[in-house]
Amino acid sequence: MVKEFHGKGVVKGVVTAEVVIIPHSFSFLGDVEMNLGTILAGENKGIPLKNKILIFTESKGSSGGCVVLLTLVKKQLSPVGIVTVKMPDYNLAEGAILSHIPFLANVSPDIFDSLQTGDQAKLDTINGIITLIPNSSQRSKEAL
Amino acid sequence: MRLTETEKRMLEGQFGEALAKSLQYIVQFGEAFDAEQLEDIRYCHYPAEMAIYEGSIEELQEFAAEQNVVAIPTTSSTLCADMQCPEKTGIPLALAQNQSKACIAHRKLGIQPTYTCTPQLNGAVPAFGTPIASVESSAIIFFNSLLGARANRGGLFTKFSAVTGKYPKMGYMLEENRAGQHQFQVEDFPVNPMENSLWWSALGFVVGSHVGSDVPVVCDLPVAPIERWITLGAAMATSGSVSLFHAVGHTPEAHTLDMAFQGKKPNSTRTIGKKELVSAIEQMTNLSSNEKIDFVCLGCPHYSLEQLRLAAAWLQGKKIDASVRFWICTSRMVRSMAQSSGYIKTIEESGTKVIADTCPVESHMRISTCQEYHLPIPQIQALVTDSFKMARYTKDLIGCKVGLTTTEKVFQSALEGRYLVW
Repeated sequence: MVKEFHGKGVVKGVVTAEVVIIPHSFSFLGDVEMNLGTILAGENKGIPLKNKILIFTESKGSSGGCVVLLTLVKKQLSPVGIVTVKMPDYNLAEGAILSHIPFLANVSPDIFDSLQTGDQAKLDTINGIITLIPNSSQRSKEAL
Repeated sequence: MRLTETEKRMLEGQFGEALAKSLQYIVQFGEAFDAEQLEDIRYCHYPAEMAIYEGSIEELQEFAAEQNVVAIPTTSSTLCADMQCPEKTGIPLALAQNQSKACIAHRKLGIQPTYTCTPQLNGAVPAFGTPIASVESSAIIFFNSLLGARANRGGLFTKFSAVTGKYPKMGYMLEENRAGQHQFQVEDFPVNPMENSLWWSALGFVVGSHVGSDVPVVCDLPVAPIERWITLGAAMATSGSVSLFHAVGHTPEAHTLDMAFQGKKPNSTRTIGKKELVSAIEQMTNLSSNEKIDFVCLGCPHYSLEQLRLAAAWLQGKKIDASVRFWICTSRMVRSMAQSSGYIKTIEESGTKVIADTCPVESHMRISTCQEYHLPIPQIQALVTDSFKMARYTKDLIGCKVGLTTTEKVFQSALEGRYLVW
């Protein structure tokens, strides 16, 4: 079964990378360690965002989040793609546009049942699609 | 997106490469949210570059070197130090020197050096219906709600708006998105004038935590001075990301309940009484009654001239405890008015510092900045304030314990060096 999800491309681009799944709201100011680029709390605590596609429900919190994202980009610790269920708040959209990070919004929340942290996915925001790369999931690796 | 002839020419670079680049970002931003056209904005509150963010100052210098100049009246948000007297906050010299480069660039760009979260107290008062671009959540919510200006929650793109005078017509720029969504009835609200800043802050925090980014409508509030409305909005924008609220009988889009909701029905209705406010204060406070403190802060958001007058009256002839640092934060413009009025001398004779341009949360005392400059962490052990916004962010970003209390008890706590509960 091909697992793909459609959405609206907020920032256009194509990237293939490992995903980090955060099945709730998320803020770059407060939920990320700025000097290390790792997630501060929750089930993904300690996971680096570097070169990952970050998938969460919606952005929350202060307008400072945009600055944190750009700081991560400067330190080369930033994610390479972002996917959200809701449209992002304006600040996060600005941060993603400035840092040219492909951003897909309005995807179905079913994505949290289909993808796991560690899976590889192709994010194509020009066509508005994120696709799970077959055999990359933790489950199929275990089956092998 | 439909663009005017002038906008098209700007995009093509007929007014220079720098403007073309800035407008490209604004257009890309608008297209991401399906905006149909751009709005001519008339005022901007600019996101001042803070030296605590890596590369921020260098980027600003590049932006200024590209011959950018603001196209509309533009004030500026806070810095990481009091740049009129940096030694007053204990900031590492190197950091202050780096920050001072920003001030030079801001001058070149034509930005007023207000360096404050309350530009409305510095004469920035856009009229009803005026489209503006603004950063600083507590200023945005005031402009939208109390003045009826049109603003979204701005971020870094606010600087592109400042030089182009443009912003996408979307969000709260559009009348239909300004309708109230949730109704709040306020019961037994304390109105004692000295005490009540805490209660307004608590009310804002409770309302914000219920509505997220929606538009709340608050009913049954008393008539209040401007500072209370600033406090209320700041707290709503802290627990939620509220950018617009209506207060029936007080704010310009809410002469009546029906008008606040634009004739629609509320999605939810809730009553908030003193019990909920007390519970919010208790949840935010992690200091015990009478526990020793080392920091006291008022002026979140930045204080007005009247608040400094009251502080001077309260502190006249008194001395704060030797183990306490007491900051009252304001803008440099208001400080200079208070200086001419004689208030600063009276306040500082008590051992209190009147700090401009910054606040503890924006300063070098942030954990991440302390790590970078090898400073002890945390810089503050136990802080007392009357502001939920200050309490929430100092807890997380400075890593100190926090006690909320009434304004009067904040002063008293500073004198006694211990947390006095409300």
